[in-house]
Amino acid sequence: MIRNGLSNKKPMNILEKIEQSLERLNNKMEVMIEIQKNNSGNSTKVAPMLPDASLDVMTLLSMPDHLRKTAMIICRAGRATAEEAASQTTRARAVESAYLNQLVIMGYLKKERKGRKAYFYIDRESKS
Amino acid sequence: MSKIIAVHSYKGGTGKTSMSVNLAATFAKNGKKVCLFDLDFRAPSLFAILKVQKAENYFNDYLNDNCEINKAMLDLSSRIPGNGKFYVCPANPSTEAIRDMSSKDRKWEMRALGRILALRETLIHEQKFDYLVFDTSPGLQYSSINAIVAADFVVVATTGDRSDVDGTKRMLAELYNLFEKKTGLVLNKVLDPSATSKKTEMQNKIKADYQVPLLGMVPCFCEVLRAEGNFIFAQDKPDHPFSKIVSEMANKIETNEVEY
Repeated sequence: MIRNGLSNKKPMNILEKIEQSLERLNNKMEVMIEIQKNNSGNSTKVAPMLPDASLDVMTLLSMPDHLRKTAMIICRAGRATAEEAASQTTRARAVESAYLNQLVIMGYLKKERKGRKAYFYIDRESKS
Repeated sequence: MSKIIAVHSYKGGTGKTSMSVNLAATFAKNGKKVCLFDLDFRAPSLFAILKVQKAENYFNDYLNDNCEINKAMLDLSSRIPGNGKFYVCPANPSTEAIRDMSSKDRKWEMRALGRILALRETLIHEQKFDYLVFDTSPGLQYSSINAIVAADFVVVATTGDRSDVDGTKRMLAELYNLFEKKTGLVLNKVLDPSATSKKTEMQNKIKADYQVPLLGMVPCFCEVLRAEGNFIFAQDKPDHPFSKIVSEMANKIETNEVEY
């Protein structure tokens, strides 16, 4: 049945779909490789998963290099998308997105969606 | 181009305050709009050195979110020859304020970093300041690291003293490098740097030892010690060799000529 369904479509469309899928897979692999690369070293420390951890300079100093780089961008800009962060670090957008989400899980950053874009920021005003 | 300059050191007594005051005064003398900040909240000194009579607000108040930055800045431009602008933002020297600043938590320090980072927008972009100079406290203190994170360029003051050398090297590797900061070393209180050959030899040794460029070497001038902090050399004794060395350093920073 599948073969019949496919045979009805134009070969170009199928190829395009395959290409898109490969691209998505490639992005995911890139993120996995990058995260594995950084986790295999002994520089990684287990960070606390607090809902409202503070991103102060001592915390920044104790972070692994790859996360500090990303966190510093948000520190300076106040707020940025993964794409904006990637343009400054020259790392792939998907990699930046993975690090930013990791910082959100750790409680250092907050994430907000506006339309199709996701913004990452530091909640400096929370007094808790 | 470096707009925000932090002057830091590992140990105390390396000449940070003297360097920052004279550097800021030199920029102002060169016609620039400058503000000098005291971030040494545990031992504030700009208030005394610049003989400020009275201040309504201090840098502490800005960081505590009690006032806007301009309310904590004093205009001392009349003390500097020429058309430059020289502002100072002192730290509160009262014991109560020192105690208060020593007991801040991490959340406060995070907000303080945000307020320090915001100075770039308020003072440099909006009010067209050319330079902000941060005088910091020695070692790894919150206020100093906040200043370093916000700075474009870090002037590291050091002496040849053994107690200072190792710590400075460690700080260069484990603090400035981690934050990817441009750094220039000032070797202070140098004995007998007169011979030119010796100077070049020392410059090469410092580059090899510390792995950062040398911004300047300052000989041990008895006159500077004798002045007991009673006057600013760059302003009151412009022809003194110390003022000329600071002027050369300011020039290197202004023209971005710190060799890497």
